[in-house]
Amino acid sequence: MSAASQSIVEISHVHKNFGALKALNNVSLSLNLGEKVVIIGPSGSGKSTLLRSINKLETVDAGTIIVDGQDINDPATDINKLRMELGMVFQSFNLFPHKTVLENLTLAPIKLKGLTKGEADAIALKLLEKVGIMDKAHVYPSRLSGGQQQRVAIARALAMSPKIMLFDEPTSALDPEMIGEVLDVMVTLAKEGMTMAVVTHEMGFAREVADRVVFMDHGAIIEEGTPEHFFQSPENDRTKLFLSQIL
Amino acid sequence: MTESRKIDVGEGAAIPNRNDWGLFNAWVISIVGAITAIIYLLISRPDPYQRLLVYLGDGIVITFKVTIVSIICACGIGLITGLGRVSKNKAINLVASTYVEIIRGIPLLVQLFYIYYALGRFLNVPDLTAAIIAMSVCYGAYMGEVFRAGITAIDKGQTEAARSLGLNGRQTMFMVILPQAWRTILPPVGNEFIALLKDTSLVSILAVADLLRRGREFSSETFLYFETYTMVALVYLVITLILSKGVSIMEARLSHYVRR
Repeated sequence: MSAASQSIVEISHVHKNFGALKALNNVSLSLNLGEKVVIIGPSGSGKSTLLRSINKLETVDAGTIIVDGQDINDPATDINKLRMELGMVFQSFNLFPHKTVLENLTLAPIKLKGLTKGEADAIALKLLEKVGIMDKAHVYPSRLSGGQQQRVAIARALAMSPKIMLFDEPTSALDPEMIGEVLDVMVTLAKEGMTMAVVTHEMGFAREVADRVVFMDHGAIIEEGTPEHFFQSPENDRTKLFLSQIL
Repeated sequence: MTESRKIDVGEGAAIPNRNDWGLFNAWVISIVGAITAIIYLLISRPDPYQRLLVYLGDGIVITFKVTIVSIICACGIGLITGLGRVSKNKAINLVASTYVEIIRGIPLLVQLFYIYYALGRFLNVPDLTAAIIAMSVCYGAYMGEVFRAGITAIDKGQTEAARSLGLNGRQTMFMVILPQAWRTILPPVGNEFIALLKDTSLVSILAVADLLRRGREFSSETFLYFETYTMVALVYLVITLILSKGVSIMEARLSHYVRR
């Protein structure tokens, strides 16, 4: 099992219901270190639920999820500590409006990693430079455009030096002209070797970055493969239908 | 599933809004009018009025004492109650909810009598302390509901963002949720402050020599009922207006991060 030893996220036979709705129906998926997986599918297909269950923002009803060797649903697992390894970027940014951009980045590192303010600031400024908004370090998020806010949100997640980055439709709430600046940051991150799981409708990003594309519908994984396979010779009829609608 | 339309009826003096010139003018007219009236009375009829105001002085101090200490205690109780009301721990939640239900179901005056005499009889608590405890226990429940509403009004995404960074529930509450909730709850908390200040007049029925009780004592000795209650009303009005302005200034300072 040399492949398994590499895998950093191992989702096995996961089920999740919201009332009568089967949000996840026997889903299994693994993510290897350094791998970029893009999850696509129609809305309500369960792809966000799957992503959110990796850091336990959703608790699954059945099945196991192993992250970095630890079962996240095991009561003995310190979920707060494990979440420090999992950076998360949301559709609606969710920056802390009462903190400046810099404070958004340094809050968790100071509180959880015991960094001094000086150390945390230095790391934060480097990350802000990387996402291209160092000049906005001392303003409040409400002063930023959507694209800038999302780039800050990415930097905030990176400030904890996570092993894996989870992106939940990071460009869906953005005006079209701002999507590019956020995707550029994500592409850079991918090229640096970050392990990424991305839920998105941006097929261009999937084509360029993904090692593997996963298509979900009605709470189940329908098809899985390389971008070449996916966009040139999809096998499943539902995949074909979805791609014909979106492309 | 139609959402019922809610109307927003303020209690107590309206908190002046910096951007609302109508209210701002109403505030200015009221305070200038009240102070002018007091000065006019003191000058035009110094005999009862100056004596009266001096006599009321001790009562004003007592009213302030009861108000300020009760506000601080009620905020503390309210914060704990509000956190209890949003707690996932069922036992804590039930205790907090029961406290709120009981307190909200009993008139303040009845509670005052009850707590005052219960404390006095079993614990030998001094009058002023008993009055303050009664006010705090009562207003703590109302304040708890305000805190609860403020906490639940914060977008769920804030909690998710904080938790996904690795912050635990308590860190999330105190570093992310409450600092934001404080801004949204300040107007209703301010209204509670003002309502509490006015409701301290109820303690005059107990043996606490607050502003109203001093007025009652003065008028029963001198039979100057009209003069006495005119002055008492004006003094309450001035204090209430100043407090409401203070709250609005605090509110403006706390909203510095919101783009206007």
